Amino acid sequence: MSSAQIAVERIELPADSPARRPLAKLAWHWRNNPKRELWLAWYAIVAFYQMFFIVFFLITRAQPPGKPWWNSTQVVQWFDQMHNGLLWGFAVIFLLGGMSAFSTALIAYSMRRMSVSPAFAYSYLIMYSLAAVPGMLLLCVALTAGALRPDRDPELIHAIFDLAFVSFVGTMGVFLIGSVIWMVAILLDKNRVFPKWFAYLNLCNALTEVVIAPACIFKRGVFSWNGQISWWLDMVVFGIYTGAFIGQLRTMILREDVGTGPLPDAAPRPAADAAVPAGAAA
Amino acid sequence: MRRRDGELLLYWALPAVLGVWLSAFLLFPGFTRPMSPAMSADAVAGFYRDHVWRIRASMIVFNWFSVGLIPVLMLIVLQIRRMGHRTPILAYCMIGCAAAGPTLFLTADLFWMIAAFRPERDAGITQLLNDLGWITFTCGVPFLIAQSVFLALAIYLDRLERPVFQPWVAHFNLVVAAALVPAAFAGLALDGAVAWNGLLSFWLKNAAIAVWIAVMWLVLGRAMRQERAAEAPAV
Repeated sequence: MSSAQIAVERIELPADSPARRPLAKLAWHWRNNPKRELWLAWYAIVAFYQMFFIVFFLITRAQPPGKPWWNSTQVVQWFDQMHNGLLWGFAVIFLLGGMSAFSTALIAYSMRRMSVSPAFAYSYLIMYSLAAVPGMLLLCVALTAGALRPDRDPELIHAIFDLAFVSFVGTMGVFLIGSVIWMVAILLDKNRVFPKWFAYLNLCNALTEVVIAPACIFKRGVFSWNGQISWWLDMVVFGIYTGAFIGQLRTMILREDVGTGPLPDAAPRPAADAAVPAGAAA
Repeated sequence: MRRRDGELLLYWALPAVLGVWLSAFLLFPGFTRPMSPAMSADAVAGFYRDHVWRIRASMIVFNWFSVGLIPVLMLIVLQIRRMGHRTPILAYCMIGCAAAGPTLFLTADLFWMIAAFRPERDAGITQLLNDLGWITFTCGVPFLIAQSVFLALAIYLDRLERPVFQPWVAHFNLVVAAALVPAAFAGLALDGAVAWNGLLSFWLKNAAIAVWIAVMWLVLGRAMRQERAAEAPAV
């Protein structure tokens, strides 16, 4: 089977196959689907972001964040209320947080599939991999330490609280430059991997990192770390961006021919006369 | 064909790195008898005062060699690239884990080092730095778990007729990943097996990491030999 055929065929198990039950179907795809690595990564990304939302918004309630203008007593009360949620929720992140690598890897792959230099993919891969520590795990470590000993000096608990939220919002550069790298790659790309409007959505995501910068200075108002601009507006942009890139990656996988030339359009139902990509000749 | 000069040098450097790690492990009194999270602030501050030089020396050595595993991880990445996959995604996943995992260990090392920098500091602050160090070190398993899972997936998805790693290596990686799971929950207990000095979170976790390094080093050596043999020019 040439790579061109893979691109345009809809990967479905034969109608007369005995493997129609969900588990058997999954096993069939695991053995036969030529895009299994891509789909594996994509489903892991969907699962990761759902897990991230559940842990941060519902279990730990670390988002929306505590108030930056609170005094030590109020911060201690916040830790008291959240105690079990923080400890259990972040344990889940310590367990599954590494799955974020799937997201970074699939996005890096999308750049390898473009006509741009591999330097873009590798830059993105390294930036987002190292960002996981200051941008996510340091908050988990700090809030776990805060919840661990409720009897600690309130001033120290207050310092841990600041460490958590300033590190979380303060890891700006990697996400800023990382999004710009992806944007530039999409704009330069001649393989039509993503539509150009998606490049500009990356710019919107990058700009949220500019808008968040004053949160390292202001303790109240729209630019503080829970402010209407620095948190609410940024979270809306981030939500739209995440939804969009998960959708765009899915479309990319549907169109993927595991070749090197321009990405073919999404497959029409019968495969027969769809365009053959340039890379297929090899 | 990939250029392979120097790969054997990186491969054979690992035993030396492991020797250094073992010495640093034995040098840090907080590891030989893992510090209990139930220790009072005064006891923790006393620990740093009593052992200040051993702590500083061990943390400097750990700091120097904390990234020492990365060359071997990259040799594993190169073997993943040789597998019968259609995309480099799983190799990228391994590279991502290799970048983030040692950063976590390095962060823990820094917290311990800061605690030992001024042992005369207020005991509550020393205890906090010590807590941050232990939580980062113990709960900092997400990339180790993910790394084993990615490697297992890569091996299961390898469709070469002579696979790069045997299927048992994938099963082994899943067992190691499972052994690291309790450590993620160390924040929930101040004593018992799950606490950061406990049987599961300290001894099982660190033994699993040690066994993983040893086993992967051996099977990696075998895979590299097979690669060289397969590509050697016929004389």
